[in-house]
Amino acid sequence: MTTKLFGTPVRRVEDQRLVTGQGRYADDVLVGQRVLHAAVLRSPHAHARILDIDVSGVLDVEGVHLVWTHDDLEGAMAEPLPLLIPHPALLHGRTQHALAKDEVNHVGEAIAFVVAEDRYVAEDAVARIRVDYALLEPVVGIAASREARTLVHDDVPGNVGARLEQENGDARAAIAAAPHTLSLDLTVERSACQPLEGRGTVARWDPDLGRMTVWTSTQTATGVRGCIAARLGLDLGQVDVITPDVGGGFGVKINHPWPEELLVPMAARILGTPVKFTEDRREHFISSAHERAQEHHVEVGFDDDGRVLGLDVQFWHDHGAYTPYGLIVPIITSTQLLGPYKPQSYRVVFESIYTNTVMVTPYRGAGRPQGCFVMERTMDAIAAALGKDRTEVRAANFIQPDEFPFDQGLVFQDGRELEYDSGDYPAMLEKIKALVGWDEFPAFREEMAREGRQVGLGLACYVEGTGVGPYEGAHVHVETSGKVKVSTGLTTQGQGHQTVFAQIVADALGVPFDRVEVTTGDTRRMPYAVGTFASRAAVMSGSAVHLAALRAREKALRIAADALEADEHDLEIVDGVVRVKGTESQIDLGTVAVLSNPLRYAFDEASKAATQFSVGDPGRPPVAEDDEPGLEGKDFYSPERSTFASGMHAVVVETDPVTAEITILKYAVVHDCGHLINPLIVEGQIHGGVAQGVGGALYERMVYDDAGQLLNASFMDFLMPYVTEVPAGIDIDHLETPSPLNPLGIKGAGEAGVIPSAAVFAAAIEDAEGFPITAMPISPSELFHLRQSHATEESP
Amino acid sequence: MKFTGQHTLHAPVDRVWEALLDPAVLVRTIPGCERLEAVGENAYAMTVTAGVAAIKGTYSGSCTLTDLVPHESLVMRLDGAGAPGTIGATVPVTFSSSGDGTTVSYDADAVVGGMLGGVGQRMLASVSKRMAGEFFGGIDDVLAGVTPAGATFTDPSAPGMPAVYTDARPGRVGGANDFWVGLAVGAGLVALGVLVGRRR
Repeated sequence: MTTKLFGTPVRRVEDQRLVTGQGRYADDVLVGQRVLHAAVLRSPHAHARILDIDVSGVLDVEGVHLVWTHDDLEGAMAEPLPLLIPHPALLHGRTQHALAKDEVNHVGEAIAFVVAEDRYVAEDAVARIRVDYALLEPVVGIAASREARTLVHDDVPGNVGARLEQENGDARAAIAAAPHTLSLDLTVERSACQPLEGRGTVARWDPDLGRMTVWTSTQTATGVRGCIAARLGLDLGQVDVITPDVGGGFGVKINHPWPEELLVPMAARILGTPVKFTEDRREHFISSAHERAQEHHVEVGFDDDGRVLGLDVQFWHDHGAYTPYGLIVPIITSTQLLGPYKPQSYRVVFESIYTNTVMVTPYRGAGRPQGCFVMERTMDAIAAALGKDRTEVRAANFIQPDEFPFDQGLVFQDGRELEYDSGDYPAMLEKIKALVGWDEFPAFREEMAREGRQVGLGLACYVEGTGVGPYEGAHVHVETSGKVKVSTGLTTQGQGHQTVFAQIVADALGVPFDRVEVTTGDTRRMPYAVGTFASRAAVMSGSAVHLAALRAREKALRIAADALEADEHDLEIVDGVVRVKGTESQIDLGTVAVLSNPLRYAFDEASKAATQFSVGDPGRPPVAEDDEPGLEGKDFYSPERSTFASGMHAVVVETDPVTAEITILKYAVVHDCGHLINPLIVEGQIHGGVAQGVGGALYERMVYDDAGQLLNASFMDFLMPYVTEVPAGIDIDHLETPSPLNPLGIKGAGEAGVIPSAAVFAAAIEDAEGFPITAMPISPSELFHLRQSHATEESP
Repeated sequence: MKFTGQHTLHAPVDRVWEALLDPAVLVRTIPGCERLEAVGENAYAMTVTAGVAAIKGTYSGSCTLTDLVPHESLVMRLDGAGAPGTIGATVPVTFSSSGDGTTVSYDADAVVGGMLGGVGQRMLASVSKRMAGEFFGGIDDVLAGVTPAGATFTDPSAPGMPAVYTDARPGRVGGANDFWVGLAVGAGLVALGVLVGRRR
């Protein structure tokens, strides 16, 4: 394999377009054409029965084309939305209806759907709908849900959707027999992805062709397509789903179908006019999805070296009002919590519980930030209890490089064994210590103390299962012009797929990078695909693209060998030209493409070469028995199991002795995602992840009041970090332990930056302050109050 | 969310009551109140236009009074809904003599929903305080004879007609910067006035 571009920092081909305002998002589709606009009436109450909906005030409003409530939905459209990932332990899974039926379970739940000439009229019409509610007691927060004085769903006992237990060894016995034990209670609050582009869907029904075209801001075009076909009673082949540019996904857009993704195409079909829905920010806060809220209880037993003999973790996962995404998030927490460590025994039990709040689906990291927080807080607590260096305790628990593949003895989120394929955690620890200046820190702390400044150092390690199956596919087509068209079905939300997949194809096929054009998330081009989640695009589609390009190459060599009257093994493809090594004999790949498709009719100069009097052996059929016309390659990649990336972050923070303001002085990352396709893009992913992690650790939370009202449902009150809050420089070092599971030796990198944030900041703040930090995120005000309560405790 | 406050009116309790008994006065003094209608015993329907900054709209609401101790205290239950959001509030109100005046204290526990709750929440406390101030200031003016009452009154004795009070002065409807929560206290007093008025 030529590895000219693989591993090099090729600049992103997407950026010129995106940063000059040429991006084309869902809201930009069909601009300038006649399009009707949708608005949704959403519940103002967290928990209520709907007694009556009066739409009479809307019907005569000029410019209103349609008003629907649940009563107007029929057949599959009237059923609850799909439970996407069923699990045997999810005994009481519940999903919302496209429009609420009889009851609403969170503020923001869709109740009525209006289509009008424009969004202004549609919103005015929504305001005229009168709903009579009988208010029910809302269940807000994990404590209220567990108390179960009120039930979110009448038929779900104790508000518990699922209880799942996994155990490797006998953790409780090991803890009972251990020389040292600790108990910890650890909490992480709710947050949300907040992509700058919210949800958006545009649909056009073509009555002449009997086809539905849907543009939607999603992480899974094929998933949405399947749902639309099933719910609207269309054949799959009648529905095309196209993913335009997506202004961020971060997990929330893997959930599907959103009510609007079904209602918009249904309305477009009935009205015969394209319909558009563009979510506004407040709607995104209250009617998409959140994540993160979990409370954990840890019991751990360990020996004098800090080796974990038994680890027993119990946690409660607040999944909100509905469970469309099954148990994926808590399963990931419960398994990925183990990180790079090998406790001698481990038991984990979780309950996934209902509350009258926005539902939970994965948010970048997807349960891993919580798991990492729990494990790393535990490691720090063990070190503190033994008076040992925090890195020493971690090193004592690492899986060693010669122990791979390492089976953790649990079942992972994909239903496969939690078996780590590769890694080198001791080497990584040495790198992060060097990068952050671990050994020099005590001197630095003293120096700062002399200036009256207070600093702390934190470390957090994680392992991330990436490249989850079942499969992805790719199609590579060499056109007669020599251009190479590549398509893969998973979608793009800014990761740079057009760049990295083109790098892979350019290398595999031997063509110039700028001749390769990549399309993602368009079901017309690749109808078989899964989606973009779990840091899987590079691993899954990258591998598929590589395999498909090799197939095209194989065919190109076969045809070229014939044309050049040479042996295939003597050929090479360089810069889009097939040549016999060491000779002048050569043929353009575009010409090979011409020859690959025997023609009767010429349509240009090049195609003349493929017509019947110019080419072919009269003694053989023009297309051989096992062959097909065209220079194309198609292949699918379906791995046995996930591949496990890993990383370690360290941060130095300063906490203001008066105001408790938390300032980042240094942030260091060592990352192992196997071979790097493009270091520039990997580092960009790390930067973005760290920024999002800073938000999650220090600023972002969902403030619900007892009535289930989200009080900070705007960017005025939900604090996202600006560039001023993100560390100015992030020191990054890479380790490359290639994955044996895929042809490129790669692992996912998309979520990594955000996973250890809560853990690493808690550790650094704890180190600066000298008292335990057990709940994240943490604000200066909370830190201030913690100081006060610890000062009170200490004073006699 | 909780709103508490107290206001002293420059009149003795009996005069405060006297003023509060006249719904035609109160419909003018409650910021943004357009319409007040007796729909049953201790129950009233109201229409109010109010808003916080850009989040404005007309609310239809109801007010129910319980736990009445004349001249001393009552508990008001308010429910309102409009395009910008919803409000549900339980407001215990107490009255006490203080020198030549009367101190009215309220302690509201309100649930503010919809857009108003999510977007306007952090401004609610201060806006509602100001509105309560406007309301009591208006009552005080009436007590001092500054503002003559100007509301119209539909005769409740007309067959099939409920008692309806509207504010007939021009420019009152849709008054800017008004807010429903502040209204809670005023509305309670309006309702109280109506109630006590009927009992007399």
